[in-house]
Amino acid sequence: MKQSGWDALVARRPALFALILLVLSLIINFILQPNMFARETLNSNMRVFLPIILLAAGQAIVILGGGIDISVGGTVSIVNTVLATRVGLEGSPEQMWQFVFLSLLAGLIAGAINGFFIAYLRLQPIITTYATSFIYAGLALVILPNPGGGIPAQIVSLYRNSTPFSLPLAVYIIAIVLLVWLYVSSTRYGKFLFAVGGKADAAYETAVPVTWVQFSTYVISGLMAALSGIAITMLSGSGNADIGGPMTLNSITAVVIGGNALSGGVGGVAGPIMGAITLGILQNIISFADIDTWWETLIKATIIVLALAAPGIVNLFRRRKRS
Amino acid sequence: MVESLSARNIVKHYGGVVALTDGNLEVHAREVVALIGANGSGKSTMSKVINGVVVLDGGQLLLDGKPIDFPSPQTAKNAGIATVFQELSLIPQLTVAENIWLTREPLNQFGMVDQKTVHARTEELLALFAGTFKTDLHPDAPVASLPPDEKQIIEILKAVSFDPWLIILDEATASLDSRQVGRLFELVQKWKEQGKAIIFVSHRMEEIFRIADKYSVLRNGRTVGAGNIKDINEKQLIKLMIEKESVLGFLRGEAKSGERIEQEISLEAQSLTTDYLRGVSFKLRKGELVGIGGLRGQGQRQLLHSLFGDLPYSGTVKLFNKEVHFKHPREAMRNGFALVPGERAKEGLLYIRSILDNLLLPSWKRYGLPLKVNQAKMDATQTGSSLNLKMAGLEEPVSSLSGGNAQKVVIGKWLMREPKVLLLDDPTKGVDVGTKAEFYTLLTQLSEEGKTILFYSSDDEELIGLCDRVLVMYDGMIRTELSGNTLTKENLISSSLGVTNGGAE
Repeated sequence: MKQSGWDALVARRPALFALILLVLSLIINFILQPNMFARETLNSNMRVFLPIILLAAGQAIVILGGGIDISVGGTVSIVNTVLATRVGLEGSPEQMWQFVFLSLLAGLIAGAINGFFIAYLRLQPIITTYATSFIYAGLALVILPNPGGGIPAQIVSLYRNSTPFSLPLAVYIIAIVLLVWLYVSSTRYGKFLFAVGGKADAAYETAVPVTWVQFSTYVISGLMAALSGIAITMLSGSGNADIGGPMTLNSITAVVIGGNALSGGVGGVAGPIMGAITLGILQNIISFADIDTWWETLIKATIIVLALAAPGIVNLFRRRKRS
Repeated sequence: MVESLSARNIVKHYGGVVALTDGNLEVHAREVVALIGANGSGKSTMSKVINGVVVLDGGQLLLDGKPIDFPSPQTAKNAGIATVFQELSLIPQLTVAENIWLTREPLNQFGMVDQKTVHARTEELLALFAGTFKTDLHPDAPVASLPPDEKQIIEILKAVSFDPWLIILDEATASLDSRQVGRLFELVQKWKEQGKAIIFVSHRMEEIFRIADKYSVLRNGRTVGAGNIKDINEKQLIKLMIEKESVLGFLRGEAKSGERIEQEISLEAQSLTTDYLRGVSFKLRKGELVGIGGLRGQGQRQLLHSLFGDLPYSGTVKLFNKEVHFKHPREAMRNGFALVPGERAKEGLLYIRSILDNLLLPSWKRYGLPLKVNQAKMDATQTGSSLNLKMAGLEEPVSSLSGGNAQKVVIGKWLMREPKVLLLDDPTKGVDVGTKAEFYTLLTQLSEEGKTILFYSSDDEELIGLCDRVLVMYDGMIRTELSGNTLTKENLISSSLGVTNGGAE
C-alpha cells in the first residue's frame, strides 16, 4: 500500500513527462537552429503556436471534466470564415473588434449546444461532438465555400509584430491563460471540475452540480476555440473553411502529451500548453532536420504513443526489478 | 435543532424492479436506529430515499412532523442529513482534504479555497481516528493510494464534517477492523450526546446489539418490525429478517480434527516473502478448513494472491510435497487451485454477462474444443442447484442476483473445475445471514470431501465457528496459530491486535 517515490512524483506532477519532452525538443531545436531564442525567431514561433495552445487549454478543461470535444476545429473554422468574410481586407479596426466579440459569442453558443446534448440529454461526448463537428465545419463551408477573404493588414501586423518588453505577444496571452487557470483551479469550481472528471457518480452523491459543471466545460472549450480561431485568423490574415479541421486532433494530442488522463480528473492546463508547444517545435525540427514532411504524421503519432505508454513502460521495468 | 425524521409508506421502483413497497422508519435525536434486513430487502434504497439520492415514487418524508421533499442530495444535506455510503462517494483522484470538503470548501475573500483552514480542519477530523491508521495518513494524500479501511474512515469523516443532524451509516463498519469499529462507536456515543441521530445499517448482529437503541427490520421492501433493541434478541431479529427461523448454527464436523491429522500435508509454505509479507510459513492438511484472521490489511490478501500466482514472492511453496512456484494464476489453476476474490464485483464476476457465462469462464478448456455446449449447460445447472442458487435462469445476467447469490456464482465457477485447494478472500462480506448459513454448510461439506480450504474472513465469529485452525496475521506475519481450546474470541481478538507486545506496531 505504500507509495514509492516514483508513484508519488507522477501523481503529484502529471505534467513531468510533458516538461521533459519539451526541454528535449527545445534542445534539439536549438542545436538545429541556434538563433531560435532571438526575439524575432521566438516571436515568429510563438505566434504560430498560439492558436493550438489556446485550443489545447480549452480541450484540457473538457477532458479534465471527463469529456472530450471533437468539434473545436469546426468552431475555429466558423470564427475564421466569419471574420474573413464579414470584416474583409478593407474593414476598419472597429469592425474587427465588433466581430471578435461576435466570434466569442459564436464559440460560446457552439459550446453550449455541445454541453446541452452531453450534460442535459446525457449523450456520449465523443459521438455528440463528432456529429456537431460536421455541423460546425459545414456551416463554415457555407459561409466561405472557397478560401479567400481577409482581415485588415494592420490587425495582422498587430498580432504578428507586437513584442512588448521584447517578449512575444503570445507569451503574455499564455501567461494570462495560466494565471486564470491557477485562479480557477483553486476555486470551488476547480475542485468540482476534478471531482466530476474523477468520479461523476460520487460527485453527484456529494451534491456537486455535476450537470452544470459538465455543461460549463463545453462552453469554456467553445470560447477557447473561438479565441483560437481569432488568433489563427490574425496570423494568416485570410479565411479558409478547412483551417480548423486538423487542429482538433492536435489539441487532443497536446492534452495527452501534457499528462492529462483521457479518462478525466487528472492533470491541468500547464501540461497541455507545454504539449502544444512541443508539437509546434517538433514541426520545426522536422523542417530544419531536412526530414521529408511526410514523416511528420508518423513522428507525431510515435510521440503520442510514447506519451501514452510512458507510465506503463516505467511500471513494467519497476515490476521486473522487484520480482 | 431538529428532533425527528420519519419516512412513511415509502414506495420506490427501479424500472420494473420494486425495491420498496412499504418502507417505514422513525428516527429521533439522541438515538441510534439499526436498519436491518437481508441483502436486497431495500435497506440501501431506504437510506437513499432519506438522503435524496433517489426520488421516492410514493409515501412521505416528515421532518419534525412537517412534510418535506428531498429532490436532490443537496436538499437533504441542507436539512442536515449526512450519509456514509457503502459504495464510497469518494473521488479517488482528489486528496483526503479535497474529498472531505468538496462543495463546502472554506473560501477566502477572492473565492479561492483557503488551504490553511482546510488543512487545519482536516487534521482535526483525522485526529478523531488517530492511532487506528496503518499508513501515515495526511490531508494531502490522494484517496486512491489509501487502503479500503482508511477510505471508509475518510468517508465517515466527510459525512460528519458538516455537523449534520442525522448520520446514516450504510454498512460503514464492513471494511473496518475491530479497533476502528471501536473508535467509531465511541464517536457515535459522543454524537448521540450532542443531540444527533444515527441510522445504522449493518449485517453484523454483534455490532447492532452493541450500539443500537432501536431497530427497524425490512423484508422484501416492507418494514416488518420496529421497536427497542432491549426488547428483542438476536434470534428473533433474524427470524423477522428471513421469515423462517435461521439455521445459523455452525455445522463444524465434530471431532474430525483427530482424523485429519492422519491426512497427508497438501499445501506447505516456507518463509513466503513479498513486499508486504515478512516470511509466512504454514502446513495445511488435506480436508482441512483453516482460517486466516487478524485485522484487515495485515497481509491476508497478499498471502492468498501470492499462493495463487498473482503476486510475485520468494520462499518455498509445496503442493503434496512437490515444490511449486506459480508465476501466473494459470499455473495455479492447472494445479488445482481456486481463488475466490474479495471484491467479487471487480475481480470475481463479469456483471453484465449471464450466470452461465460466468460459471463456465474458468472451464472452457473442458468444453471448448470440441464445443460441448449441452454438457456445459448441464454441468452448470448442476452446480447451480447444488449451491442452491436462487435465479430466474442461467441466461440471466449476474447483475440480477443479490450479493449472496452472486457470491455463490463466484464459488460455483471454481467448483466446476473441481479444485484441490480453495483460497477464499473474505467471501461473506456483505452477504446476508441466510446465505451465510448455506455457505458455511457448503464449506464444511467441501472440506469433508477432502479439499483443502484456506479461508480469510473479517468476521471473527465465522472463523471460530467454522475453522479447524486459525492463523492470525499481524503486520505481514503469522503471529499466532489458534486451534481447539485456544480458538476463542478473546484469543483471536487479542492476537489480532498484537496485544502480546503491548499493542505497539
